[in-house]
Amino acid sequence: MAPPRATGVAPTDKKWSTEFDTQRRHKLFRDPPSKKTAYPSLAEATKPHVDSFNAVFAPNGQIHHALKDIGTKTFLDGNPANLSDDASEPRTRNRLQVRVREVFLDKSLLPPSNKIEATKREILPVECRERHVTYKGRFRGRLEYRINNGEWKETVRELGYLPIMLRSNRCHLEGLSPKELVNRREETEELGGYFVVNGIEKLVRMLIVNRRNFPMAIIRPSFEGRGATYTKYGMQIRSVRPDQTSQTNVLHYLSDGNVTFRFSWRKNEYLVPVLMVLKALVETNDREIYEGIVGAAGSKGLEAKQFVIDRVELLLRTYKAYNLYNRDQTRAYLGSKFRVVLGVPEDMTDYDAGTEFLRKIVLPHLGSYEVTESHDADKFRMLVFMIRKLYALVEGECSVDNPDAVSSQEILLPGFLYGMIIKERIEEWLTSIGISLREWSRNNQWPEFTSREFDREFLTKVVRKTNENLGQALDYFMSTGNLVSPSGLDLQQISGFTVVAEKINFYRFISHFRMVHRGSFFAQLKTTTVRKLLPESWGFLCPVHTPDGSPCGLLNHLAHKCKVVTESADVTNLPHLVAQLGIVGSSAAALSDSVVVQLDGKILGFCTPKQAKVIGDTLRYWKVEGTHGVPLDLEVGYIPESTGGQYPGVYMFSSPARMLRPVKYLPLDKVDHVGSFEQPFMSIACTEPEIASGDSTHVEYDPTNILSIVANQTPFSDFNQSPRNMYQCQMGKQTMGTPGTALKYRTDNKSYRLQTGQTPVVRPPLYNEYGLDNFPNGTNAVVAVISYTGYDMDDAMILNKSAHERGFGYGTIYKTKKVNLAEESKTKGRSAAVTHMFGFPPDGLIKAQWRNTLDDDGFAAVGMRVKEGDIIAASHTVTKDPLTGDYANRDGITHLHRYKDVEEAFVEEIKLIGNEAGSNEPCQSISIRFRIPRSPVIGDKFSSRHGQKGVCSQKWPAIDMPFTESGMQPDVIINPHAFPSRMTIGMFVESLAGKSGALHGLAQDSTPFKFKDKEGETAVEYFGHQLQRAGYNYHGNEPMYSGITGEELAADIYVGVVYYQRLRHMVNDKFQVRTTGPVTPLTGQPIKGRAKGGGIRVGEMERDALLAHGTAFLLQDRLLNCSDYTKAWICKACGSFLSTQPSVGQYGRKRFAGEGGRVRCKRCSRKAITLDPKSECWEDRKGERWFGGDEVTLVAVPGVLKYLDVELAAMGIRMKFKIEP
Amino acid sequence: MSREQYTPPSTSQNNQQQGGAGAASGSGSYGGFNITGSGSLEDTTRPVHYLCGDCDAKVVLKKSDPIRCKECGYRVLYKERTNRMIQFEAR
Repeated sequence: MAPPRATGVAPTDKKWSTEFDTQRRHKLFRDPPSKKTAYPSLAEATKPHVDSFNAVFAPNGQIHHALKDIGTKTFLDGNPANLSDDASEPRTRNRLQVRVREVFLDKSLLPPSNKIEATKREILPVECRERHVTYKGRFRGRLEYRINNGEWKETVRELGYLPIMLRSNRCHLEGLSPKELVNRREETEELGGYFVVNGIEKLVRMLIVNRRNFPMAIIRPSFEGRGATYTKYGMQIRSVRPDQTSQTNVLHYLSDGNVTFRFSWRKNEYLVPVLMVLKALVETNDREIYEGIVGAAGSKGLEAKQFVIDRVELLLRTYKAYNLYNRDQTRAYLGSKFRVVLGVPEDMTDYDAGTEFLRKIVLPHLGSYEVTESHDADKFRMLVFMIRKLYALVEGECSVDNPDAVSSQEILLPGFLYGMIIKERIEEWLTSIGISLREWSRNNQWPEFTSREFDREFLTKVVRKTNENLGQALDYFMSTGNLVSPSGLDLQQISGFTVVAEKINFYRFISHFRMVHRGSFFAQLKTTTVRKLLPESWGFLCPVHTPDGSPCGLLNHLAHKCKVVTESADVTNLPHLVAQLGIVGSSAAALSDSVVVQLDGKILGFCTPKQAKVIGDTLRYWKVEGTHGVPLDLEVGYIPESTGGQYPGVYMFSSPARMLRPVKYLPLDKVDHVGSFEQPFMSIACTEPEIASGDSTHVEYDPTNILSIVANQTPFSDFNQSPRNMYQCQMGKQTMGTPGTALKYRTDNKSYRLQTGQTPVVRPPLYNEYGLDNFPNGTNAVVAVISYTGYDMDDAMILNKSAHERGFGYGTIYKTKKVNLAEESKTKGRSAAVTHMFGFPPDGLIKAQWRNTLDDDGFAAVGMRVKEGDIIAASHTVTKDPLTGDYANRDGITHLHRYKDVEEAFVEEIKLIGNEAGSNEPCQSISIRFRIPRSPVIGDKFSSRHGQKGVCSQKWPAIDMPFTESGMQPDVIINPHAFPSRMTIGMFVESLAGKSGALHGLAQDSTPFKFKDKEGETAVEYFGHQLQRAGYNYHGNEPMYSGITGEELAADIYVGVVYYQRLRHMVNDKFQVRTTGPVTPLTGQPIKGRAKGGGIRVGEMERDALLAHGTAFLLQDRLLNCSDYTKAWICKACGSFLSTQPSVGQYGRKRFAGEGGRVRCKRCSRKAITLDPKSECWEDRKGERWFGGDEVTLVAVPGVLKYLDVELAAMGIRMKFKIEP
Repeated sequence: MSREQYTPPSTSQNNQQQGGAGAASGSGSYGGFNITGSGSLEDTTRPVHYLCGDCDAKVVLKKSDPIRCKECGYRVLYKERTNRMIQFEAR
């Protein structure tokens, strides 16, 4: 019964505790707050998704930079074939330049073609779910073009429709309060962060990529295969442009000491001598390069650098072979080699092409458009630094950077990937204008671009011919997750980018947004190194929340306090600050004298290692303090000097896509955001008592900050054996729970719902902080640990029948089926015209039987029970009368649409789906929701929150259940054997805590790491005393009486309250039985698959078992009689199946009479002659008469044997069988 | 109709209904509770009631009408729950 209606508005700012807070929750639920959400932590969870999408179209955002990076495309007129001939009279060719100035993405609105709706034109996400369409907005671009440096002319082009992320800055739900969300038929806590594509919620999952703008030392044996003299050493940098697209540059160390520069462009790999790149960047000389790599002449420690000196000398000497001496020569040389690859305009000089090469490919993070001399100098310095680090790696002066540790990783955010695809599509489209232009020119005798003809037809004929529907590509990407890209976007995979945001329950749903995948490339890797849990992940990736099995360790989840930055921090002040702290421009020879100071992959300078520590510490103090213009999100990675450790220096990062987490900075007692790069070199105490003075700079706010949202919900997880916590993270996500409250407006293909969800008695405060009471996931059950009936063997559990009748674990499945008439007609031939209509044909015969389920409108009555084969909709074909506009049926035939599932269901809801075009066509598709009640039955799966799953084996009558002295009966009985090997002590503690919580009316805090292992402070003592106070046994044991005999049981039984989840795996979806059924036509063996009524294979191992048991008849029954048992005729004389054939004709009247019957072997027969007795002759189908071949017999063989015979015969191999007796 | 008068629908009765096609609705136990499904065949353009998915207004649609709420213009309509008496065996 609901409590009386609470009045007043619940506070949204009050901090959540572990308490039940029933009134407050009720108020929040009944009157959703109209200002802001009461669960800010929940909104925080999807922030990386939403904010990264917002950054795409923000002013000065990703697309803004992308358009600048694309620049202008130039096309020339004239017939390319004639150019060489006309060399005698050179004609200047006209240039057409095109560029996209800006793009616009509208909110989701009705298309302009819809003239009916005047005011309410927006399309809300809920409508897209209901109508099974994509939530998308109109995408337009301002295309500008000019001829020969004339005036820019502009035109706005329609570029299709782009899917829009929910709650982003292009969504109608942006910044709405819970109350407004409810009015728009969303959840109160609608998180957004996903897309609605064809009515299905899809999201782009976060991928792990290499940390940007940081040269990483790697050793990869596969590098040796790149060519002669290549070694395993490399220096790799993932250089990211302002528009978030990346370009990976690798320096390879060759065994002779040389270094080559490798990059990949449009999926092809290229190698360039690194000196050529260096010399093309700036006007330099050998000495500058030499001193940059080795150290200034005369500086200390040069004598120890003989290894590097030798190699640099060789590097410089071998380059002499190219005979390129200054910058312009080198650039022109590079340009001449790469102009075709880069696709630069034909009239561009080689020098400019070389500049373009340096701009696009060489370290573009230091300048990818509007590149100045100082940008090139930065690139030069960075390349020199990379060579230096590469030599240090080869020499053994520094170690490799582990690409599998989070310290050298960042996250590819969904929005950024989305923006990258848009950028690429725009660039491809601009290029395709050139192709279309050439086509047009060829068909029109190569008119000049200055001609009036061109002016008239450029937009109407040329641009129109290109594929301007860029939205389609994004739509395809979202719905399939496949990336179609000519460049590959510097990613290692081409598919699996998107996943369906399944709303099986809320844990499952929220986990999708916290999920980080390592990349499907690593899934195929044989080694397990990438899957390892590394200490660097502390606080960033949850150590518990990863699935077991094939994606183990590759699919991780972010710790619940881990953030991902989505925008660059403002660091304009930083170079100046660092300069004041003391750095010099050039490096000394030895690492012990000078280390590098970098900011976002740009070298600021060099300083002594001592000074580096000062810089690191000072900047950290300022950053936490918030002074001197040092932003809090800056990462100050100070790597100290070491012997053979990571290459030292101060590496600062302000870029987006980094993982950060809050910890307390001790000197200021304020929050500091710590990044994954800096963390390994910091001293962060885990708890207050662990702070080591003089060492610890930070302390953890809470030890549970390392766990993910779902892992935090496991009560007392510190008492459990660790794999059990992993199992619970998995099972929590498979629970039949409450996916949400706006269920009526959802159209998931299948969704699960628990009817009797409760709030757990034992839960951490985070449970309330994440508002999980809005989505209850299980039921509190009285659990007795006892072996009672024998039905609780082997992880089975006994359910109290009365508990079941009171609704324990009662669930429902909702299935949505769509009936689309337009789709059916489309398959026959594409036509937009209406050819079908719902309802009965006016003049047709309507059987009364059809009307059992159908109403007048041809749809099933809502509330009806339907079984397999029942009719759920009727339709008929129509043709449009062109005069009246009416639709008329001519054939009078009713087409019936049936319910095809085996299980009985109720018609919950029928939605008639209109169209957004505003056309007058009648209903073409409906969406029907079925409700399948699933009360718990024997064989359904349940689990506690400790990875203790079990199957219901019996619903035991309450009168026969054991009872305690107070008369309590358990709801669930589990076997004590479930515990010793699994060591889920947390479940015992939960049982204790639940029991005392229920007795005292308390919500029990189950946060891990709260209790100590000290006498008097243990969990057992704490809850034991509570139990004692309630008059119960301190240990949680109680005497029990047998429900059958009424005698007291010999042992005291451990009884308590445990929160039980019902898992979605139910026998009704799983059972597979068959005696006879469909068979494979080829072999005659049963088909595979439960859905098709197939069998379960008796495989080799099962066969072995049957053999070992000596059960030959059983084996024969399984392998032959129940499989492809066939009777076949065989000739005893020649031993062949294939030569037998039935005789026909006049002699065939006595068919198959007796042994041998009328089947004859043709091979053993000969043509009949007149002397043969007529009764001995037989006739084949051609009417020819034969004599003999009557030694045939009927044998029982497997059907495949005959098939094998045929196959072998086709190969020219004859099988001969000996028939005995 | 009182509960006692009610008889559950069965195929045999439906067939009788079919035989007497055109009989006024309400005659026979079947038509009595089946308000939406009358037996008359000529009146096939009879409008059926729906509910707007957005404003919950009652929408009356004829057969070839486009799916659109007359009040708010919303493009998804929900079919009303039937007022046929629906009875199941409780087991």
